[in-house]
Amino acid sequence: GVHCGACRKMSVYELHYFNNRGRAEPARLLFAAAGLPYRDIRIQSEQWPEYKLKLPMHQVPVLEVDGTMICQSVAIARYVAKVTGHAGKTDLEQAKVDMLVDGIDDVMTKKGDYVWHEKDETRKMEKKNAFYETTLPQFLSRFEKLLLTNGGDGFLVGEGLAHADAWFLCLADDVLLDFPDIFTPYPKLAALVERIRTYPGIKEWLAKRPQTEF
Amino acid sequence: MPSYKLTYFNGRGRGELARLLFAAGGIEYEDVRVAGEQWQELKPKTPFGQLPILEVDGTMICESRAIGRLIAKAAGLAGKTDLEAARADMIIDGCDDLLPKLFPIFGEKDENKKAELKKEFAEKTLPPALDHFEKLASAEGYFVGKSLTWADVNFFAFMGLLGVVVPGDHIKGKVNLNKVMGNVTSNPGIAKWLKERPETEF
Repeated sequence: GVHCGACRKMSVYELHYFNNRGRAEPARLLFAAAGLPYRDIRIQSEQWPEYKLKLPMHQVPVLEVDGTMICQSVAIARYVAKVTGHAGKTDLEQAKVDMLVDGIDDVMTKKGDYVWHEKDETRKMEKKNAFYETTLPQFLSRFEKLLLTNGGDGFLVGEGLAHADAWFLCLADDVLLDFPDIFTPYPKLAALVERIRTYPGIKEWLAKRPQTEF
Repeated sequence: MPSYKLTYFNGRGRGELARLLFAAGGIEYEDVRVAGEQWQELKPKTPFGQLPILEVDGTMICESRAIGRLIAKAAGLAGKTDLEAARADMIIDGCDDLLPKLFPIFGEKDENKKAELKKEFAEKTLPPALDHFEKLASAEGYFVGKSLTWADVNFFAFMGLLGVVVPGDHIKGKVNLNKVMGNVTSNPGIAKWLKERPETEF
């Protein structure tokens, strides 16, 4: 928990999700980077129909903070980042981090569209090809330019790791499964991925986290 | 006081949230509206090739929610604690989740398909979402705490877009959500903006 100086109480964090990395993993990486303890709850599919009824939008992930429920993966990761000092130092820095996260979220949603929502196998293949030939390269090329505006050899915004970096590692893990050489044209981004993978706390988590397909 | 320049198309769309928040906060800004060639020239200079963008003392921020959050903070509408801020974020994200289903209806050329999509949205997609939001809004008409936050303003902006694409009184009988709408429209800065803003198609 985190020591609240005013009330001398430790906050209790519980993260509810399925047994996947998915949209809970950015928050898990941030907890790990800070060495901040939390309950990493993984719901079984047979529990789900009843479980969802107590959640604010009947969706996961949900972060419970001393009983208050926060849903929406981007909101959750931002909150954990704030609590652990990984949100950005000024309002403007935070806005830069936020915009990068939204950009990554957008790409992840586009990938999810052909993986989960497209049922027709031919259309699925077409969309997958379009994703890897057009969508992802366009995004990565823009994203590398944005990294370069921050020097290129550190993290995405400002001096330290922010939730945008956690999201980026999750995107990288996801797309590298299908296309191991997708980062070849973007050496600075490839180096950033390694930088995040070896970040203290994250490195240990990556070695011990449950191995799941996605 | 920083200098703010907002650039979007000549419409409400994903740009109106920023305009409403500037109005609520009584914050001056340049309200730039682009189209055609002007947009094509600007596009490669934007972070993701999209609008809206907000230029703050020369720094370019994109993504409507990132922009909205920055203005909300400046206007004191982002929530009083980190936890309140997270509650506001989640309400806004939940609302915005509906937009990717809504926008394609607006652009659909085939009248039959359009009618089909409208019906599906109004009857299947929207009602469960509004049920969640009704429970999340307080009896006083606030999504977070006891005063106006950008979560309320964003809901109002969303309802405006919904009205363009799928007309109807979708929150009829939803007491809390109607109070939210009232709290937003009675904010003095917003009330003034609603009277003055350009009339646009979307």
